[in-house]
Amino acid sequence: MGFPYDEASWSVVDGAMFMGWGSAMPGLYTLIAAGICVAVLLFGQKTERAKTKQYDK
Amino acid sequence: MLQFGQRRDTHTTVHNANSPTRGFIVEEQIAELTAQIAALQGKSGVTNTMFAETFYYLTIPLMIIIHAGFLAYEMGASRLKNVLSSGVKNILAFAFMIPTFYFFGWWVYWGFPTGLPGAAGPAGISGVEYANAIAWGWGESAQYMGPNIADQASGVFFGAFALFAATTASIMSGAVIERIQTVGFVILAVVLGSFAWVVAAAWGWHADGWLVTQWGVHDFGAAGLVHAVAGFFALGVLINLGPRIGKFNPDGSANHIAGHNMPLTVTGLMLIIVGFWGFLMACVIVPGEAWSWFADKPSTIYGTPITLSALAFNILMAVAGGIIGAWVLTRDPFWMMSGALAGIISTASGLDIYYPALTFIVAFSAGLILKPCADWLERRGIDDAVGAVTVHGTIGLYGVVMLGVFASGYPALQGAAGEVPTISLIGQIVGAVVFFLLGFVPGYVVSLILKMMGMLRIPEGAELAGMDMVKVPAAGYPEGIPAPGVNLAPGE
Repeated sequence: MGFPYDEASWSVVDGAMFMGWGSAMPGLYTLIAAGICVAVLLFGQKTERAKTKQYDK
Repeated sequence: MLQFGQRRDTHTTVHNANSPTRGFIVEEQIAELTAQIAALQGKSGVTNTMFAETFYYLTIPLMIIIHAGFLAYEMGASRLKNVLSSGVKNILAFAFMIPTFYFFGWWVYWGFPTGLPGAAGPAGISGVEYANAIAWGWGESAQYMGPNIADQASGVFFGAFALFAATTASIMSGAVIERIQTVGFVILAVVLGSFAWVVAAAWGWHADGWLVTQWGVHDFGAAGLVHAVAGFFALGVLINLGPRIGKFNPDGSANHIAGHNMPLTVTGLMLIIVGFWGFLMACVIVPGEAWSWFADKPSTIYGTPITLSALAFNILMAVAGGIIGAWVLTRDPFWMMSGALAGIISTASGLDIYYPALTFIVAFSAGLILKPCADWLERRGIDDAVGAVTVHGTIGLYGVVMLGVFASGYPALQGAAGEVPTISLIGQIVGAVVFFLLGFVPGYVVSLILKMMGMLRIPEGAELAGMDMVKVPAAGYPEGIPAPGVNLAPGE
């Protein structure tokens, strides 16, 4: 991914310095992280429902 | 004299614009302003120095919370018959770490960043000669190792590093509960906490460290040099120590040995998370002091810029990602809180430069692989009572390498690429291998020597009877723990 400034030097850094700054990557990461949260909840609900169903009378 | 912000009577000055005394008045004003600026700079310097000293001072009690956490976690993970002896062991590790780090650990850190024989490095803050001048408790250097009104930095730096050392030793402590001898354990803790990780820190966590200057290794939050070193040191010890009686069946399958108090263990893990805010805060170099990298902004130990805001964003996302990842496969609060720890450890190397959403993703993956990695180790006959090898060792190395995947090209030190090395996947892998060896080799060798001397494992009879009964003149629960259904009101 590389250093987010044209010149790979800390002396030119005067603002954001995280990986992916200035590219589409931060947005993509945010989308993936949000997707993980939703997917985990869906998976959790599915598996927990299957487990609790065993105790249904 | 004028007070700051107070204006002289300009009307008088203007009125007498052509007066021969005007030049004298201006000179007087300049002299007064100069004096005021000097006074302000003096006050500002005192404030900054007090801030810097207080900053590190406060990291010390925060890191002691890590030890409260380890204590609760290990005691909860022990069976009732071993609960206090696990506590004794843990408390002793902390106590021995402080003086031994004072005696020689601090000296090792400053003496050997460039490796053997301890030559001075380019930053001018390393080498045996430098260490001799600041880190011995005798001779001229003793002035920096005790109360000194002219030195408001050495004590708090030492304190923070001593707590790093104690944390490292405590990581190994949990893995070996319920069968290790107390003195043998203390010797291992000293080797790990006051030597092995200190060498790793000198090499990979110092501006003159050869792993940094030659390979561009970046490990801001000590994922490799603390966690991986401690985790694999524990693995070396566990191989010689062997499993607890009853852990494995003759066919090699493993039994789960439940601790006596899971809520205590989980609370302990949460306390470790709390304490890690202090640990990571202590990895920051504050600005404005003679020893600071910058006058106006904080830096990492490598002299690269960082903010506490970066830590706030990334630590929180790491904790969350780790918990969620561990929940997917385990649904077990022990592994979920271990996942929180794994989340921090997996991203610790780059907490200064990760983007928070990426931190979440890496931490989530660490939480996800945590339990399968622990199970893999258990299937190979290793009885790690609390999963320390996996949480700290495996995930620590995972974090070091993952930074190489995402942060390649970042200058690893203050300066520009070319003048200083850059972070790279190869460099991070080299760092990971060195950290593994610095943990595993001393752990294995010293525990083997202790084993040959009969100082590693308690006798079988004592293990079966319980270490509290054998070694501790107190009872954890003198009135016992009520069995389920006992002493309950009707209907409960």
